[in-house]
Amino acid sequence: MAGTGNGHLREDALLQVDELVVEFPARRKQVVHAVSGVSFDLAKGETLGIVGESGCGKTTTGRAVMRLERVTSGSVRLNGADLTALDGEGLRQARRAMQMIFQDPVSSLNPSRRVRDIVREGVDIWGSERPNIDDWVAEVLDSVGLGDEGVLDRRPHEFSGGQCQRINIARALVMEPDVLILDEPVSALDVSVQAQILNLLEGLKTKFGLTMMFISHDLAVVKNISDRVMVMYLGKVCEISNTHDLYANPTHPYSRALLASIPGHTLDLPPAGELISGELPSPLDPPSGCRFRTRCPRATELCGTEEPVLNEVEPDHWVACHHPE
Amino acid sequence: MALVEPGPTGVKTAAEAVAAVDHPPADRSSRQLGVLFWFAAGWILLLVICAVFRDLLPFRDPDALGIRTREVRKFEDPSWNAWFGGDGQGRDQFARVVQGARPALIIGITVTLIGGFIGSAIGVTSGYLRGKVDTATTVVIDIFLAFPGLVLLIAVRASFGNSMLVFIVLFSITSIPGYARIVRGASFALSERDFVDAAEAMGATKRRVLWKELAPNVAIPVLSFAFIGFALVIVAEGGLAFIGLSLDEVTWGKLIAEGTGDIKDHAHVSLIPATVMFLTILAFNLAGDSIRRLYSPREVATQRRLRVEGIADVNPDGSVLHISDLYTTLHTPAGDVHAVDGVSLSVRAGQALGVVGESGSGKTMILRSIVGAFALSDVTRSGTVEVAGVDMLRAPRGQVLRTLGTEIGMVSQNPLTALNPVRRIESQIIEPMMVHRGTSKAQARERALELLRLVGIPAPERRLREYPHQLSGGMRQRVTIAIALANEPKLLLADEPTTALDVTVQDQILRLLSGLQQEREMAMVLVTHDLAVVKGFTDSVAIVYGGQVVEYGPTSEIFANPRHRYTVALMQSMPDLDLPSHSELITIDGSPPSLLRPTPGCRFAARCPAAQDVCHSLTPAASERDDHWFRCHFPAEITPVSVGAPADSEAD
Repeated sequence: MAGTGNGHLREDALLQVDELVVEFPARRKQVVHAVSGVSFDLAKGETLGIVGESGCGKTTTGRAVMRLERVTSGSVRLNGADLTALDGEGLRQARRAMQMIFQDPVSSLNPSRRVRDIVREGVDIWGSERPNIDDWVAEVLDSVGLGDEGVLDRRPHEFSGGQCQRINIARALVMEPDVLILDEPVSALDVSVQAQILNLLEGLKTKFGLTMMFISHDLAVVKNISDRVMVMYLGKVCEISNTHDLYANPTHPYSRALLASIPGHTLDLPPAGELISGELPSPLDPPSGCRFRTRCPRATELCGTEEPVLNEVEPDHWVACHHPE
Repeated sequence: MALVEPGPTGVKTAAEAVAAVDHPPADRSSRQLGVLFWFAAGWILLLVICAVFRDLLPFRDPDALGIRTREVRKFEDPSWNAWFGGDGQGRDQFARVVQGARPALIIGITVTLIGGFIGSAIGVTSGYLRGKVDTATTVVIDIFLAFPGLVLLIAVRASFGNSMLVFIVLFSITSIPGYARIVRGASFALSERDFVDAAEAMGATKRRVLWKELAPNVAIPVLSFAFIGFALVIVAEGGLAFIGLSLDEVTWGKLIAEGTGDIKDHAHVSLIPATVMFLTILAFNLAGDSIRRLYSPREVATQRRLRVEGIADVNPDGSVLHISDLYTTLHTPAGDVHAVDGVSLSVRAGQALGVVGESGSGKTMILRSIVGAFALSDVTRSGTVEVAGVDMLRAPRGQVLRTLGTEIGMVSQNPLTALNPVRRIESQIIEPMMVHRGTSKAQARERALELLRLVGIPAPERRLREYPHQLSGGMRQRVTIAIALANEPKLLLADEPTTALDVTVQDQILRLLSGLQQEREMAMVLVTHDLAVVKGFTDSVAIVYGGQVVEYGPTSEIFANPRHRYTVALMQSMPDLDLPSHSELITIDGSPPSLLRPTPGCRFAARCPAAQDVCHSLTPAASERDDHWFRCHFPAEITPVSVGAPADSEAD
C-alpha cells in the first residue's frame, strides 16, 4: 500500500488535498514521517470518513488541513484557493470557512467561560451577516438539542460529555463553515451517547448542508456516518472508496485486517491473525516501497522496491496495492 | 449531574473523566471551606478594619508617652488597662500594633498587585507563545531567582532612603519572577488543551487567546499564589526592619526590632507584634491554600478508610469468585455514593464472566470491591466477596494479601501506568514470584522467560532487560498479562484490558487472554464498556447500570434474548456493520443516573421507552429462567435483536 497517486481526485471538489506531506523534526536530526503524500477530496455535502489505527496519520491529516500543523509540502485547496500558501492574517481569514471538533469534548471548552460566550466566540471574532446574532445562536443551540434557555449562562463543568460535544458542535456551526473537520468526535463518549451524537450529525448534515471530514478509529462508526471512506496506514492512503464498496468488498490487505479485527463482526473474512502480523514500524524509518509490506502476508519482492499507486479497481473504489484481493 | 468537572489548570483526560465517578465533584457552593479558612478570613477582615479606620477607632494615641497620658507605664505588662502592655517609652503597644496594620496592608497589596500583574503578563505570554520568547524569559527568570534579592534590597535601600515608595518598587521587582514562573507553567499546560486549538482554529488572534482563553484560567492559581506572596512581603519587611532598614512608618517589623533589646525582662514588647505578624502570615497562607483547594476538587481530603459491615453468606457451588449481595458505599464530601448496590455474581474455574456497563455504571467499582483498592476513599463494603475460599472482606489481613498476591491476577486498562517506568521488565515479573512463593531468583528468571514466550513476546531474553517505555502498547499489555499469570492465579481480573489499544492489537490480546484462561482453567472477569468484546470471549455476561446488575446470564442467551430494556437499548445503540450507511441509530435519551442520590424504583426508568408509573416507584423483582436473570417490570419480548450476528456463530 503505502500508496501515492492522485488519479482519484475529482474536478468539482469543494476541498482538495493533493500530495500532502507533514514531517516533524525528531531527535538526532531524524524526521517523523507523519503524513507522506496523501491526496483526497470532498465534494459539497459529502462526508468522508478517515480510518486507521494510532500512528496512521489520520489526526495529523485533519490538523494539517486546518493548518494547525505545519505543512511540509503539498496543497490544500478550498473552493479553489490554496490555503497552504497563506500565513498570518490571510490564514486567519481562511480558517473562517473551516471548523474543527476535537476528541475530548470537555477539554475543548474553556472551563471558565459561559456557554453563551463559547458558542458566540466565532461571531464575536468575525461578526455575522445575520441581523440578530442572539437569535442565530439560540437557533443553532436548539438544532444541537440544547434549546433550553438556562443553558446559555452555565459553564462547561455543569454538562455531561455528550452535552459538551453538542456545545462544541454548536460553536462550529455558528460560523456556518464550508467544511467541518471532526477528529474522533465520539471516541470519548459512551455508546448510548455516541449514538445520539451520530444521529445529530446526520440531521445537521441535511439541515445545514454540511461537508464533513470524519476521523475515527472505529470502523462501525465510520460506516454509519460516511459517504466515502479513506483507509490510512503509516502516513499513506491504502484504499479510498464509496462506503458501501469498501465494507462489502475490502480490497487492500490492511483494510481487510482492520475489518477482520472488529470484535463480533459477521463479515466474510479470514481471522485477523491470518491477515496481519507483527507491529507497526517506526515512522522515523518507514519501510521502503509499500509501507504495509512488513506486516502483510501477501508481500513480495516488488512491494519492497516499488511503491504502489492508487488504482481504480471498480468505479469510485481506489486501492494502492500490488497484490489486492 | 455533571459527569466531569475539570480543575482550572488540571488537564482532564477521558480516563480522568471516568475516574471522576470515584470522586464525584460537589457543587462549589456546597464544598466546605473549613474552620481554618474562616479563621483566616476573619483575621484578614480585622486587619483591614484596623488599617482603614484606625483613626476613627477609640484607641489611644500610639505616639503618646505614658508619662503624659498617665495611663500606660514603661514596659507595663499586658493588662485590662493596656491589652498589649506598654513599650520601652511607655506608649500603648496595642495602639502601635494597630498602627502597623496600615503599612503592612499597603505594602502587601501594592506589591502583590504590581508584581502579580506584571509577572502574570510575562508568564502567560511566555507559556503560550513558547519558542524563543519562552526560552529567553525562562533564562531571565532563572537569573533573577538565583540573584540574592535581599542583598540587592539592602544595597538600594541604603542609598535611596526609607520611603515606602522605594520599598514598594523594589519589592515589586523582586516578586515578578515568582509570579512569572508559576503562570508560565500553568499557561504552558493550558495551551496544550483543545480549547486553545479550537479558538485558534476559529481564527482568534493571539491576543484574544491570551486574554479570553488563558488569562481567566490562570487567575485562580495566581490569586492563590498572591496570598502567599503577600505573606512573603510581610516577612521580608520584618527581616529588613530587624537590620535597621525599616520604613519611616510604624511597622510590625520595627516594633519587634525595638523590643528585642529588652526581650529578657519584657518579652511582651517584642512577642506581641511578632505574634500578630505570625498570625497574619498564617492567615494569608491559609487563605491562599483554601482558594487553591476550592478549585482542585481532587485535593479535597477524605480520610482513607475501609470498613466492612454485615456477615458473609455461603458459597454454594465452590465458585472461584463468589459475590453475594455486595454493597459498596463511598463516603465523599458530597455525600454517600452507592457505587455497588446489591450485586451478586459468581464465576467458576475455567469460566469467563463479562461485566458490561457505561462510564459511571459502577462496573469498575465491582472489581475494586473484590480487591479492596479504592485509592484515597472512605469506603464501606457489606455482603460477601469470596475468592478461592477466602472471605476477602473479613479474613485476616495477611490472608487477604496472600490471596491477592497468589490467587488473583490483574490486568488493567493502561499498561503504561500499570508498569513501573524506572524498573526493568525482569524485576517486575520476578518480584511477585519471589515475594509470594519464595521462588529463587534463578528459578524466577527461568519462569519469566517462559511467561514472556507464553504471552507471545519475541526475543524474551532481550525484553527482560528493557524498560516499559521501550515496548509498544500491545507488548506492554502482554507483559502485564505475564505478570498477572506469574503466580498461577485462580482468578484473572481484567479491567478494560484492550480499551487503550488499537483494534488489530485488541483482537490479539483478547484471543491471548481467552486462550490462556481456558487452557489454565482460570476464572476470569472481563470488565468492559464494549458489548462486542464480551461476545466471543465470555461464558456469561452481567449488564451493569446505576450500580446494579440489571441482567445476568449465559452470553449466548443474553445476546439472543435480551430482556432488560437497558440491555436492548445498549445493543441497539451500537452502530451495526450489517446495516447500510446513514441508518438512524436507536438512542437512549437522557443521561446515566446519579449514584449519589439513587431514585426509587427501576434505575433505568427515567430513560426507558417502556417505563410506566410502577417503574418509578417499585424496584423490579428479579425474574429468572434457565440461568437467565433480569430485573424489569416490562421486559422485552423474546425476539432476537441483532448485534452483528446471532451469538451462536461466535460462541466458543
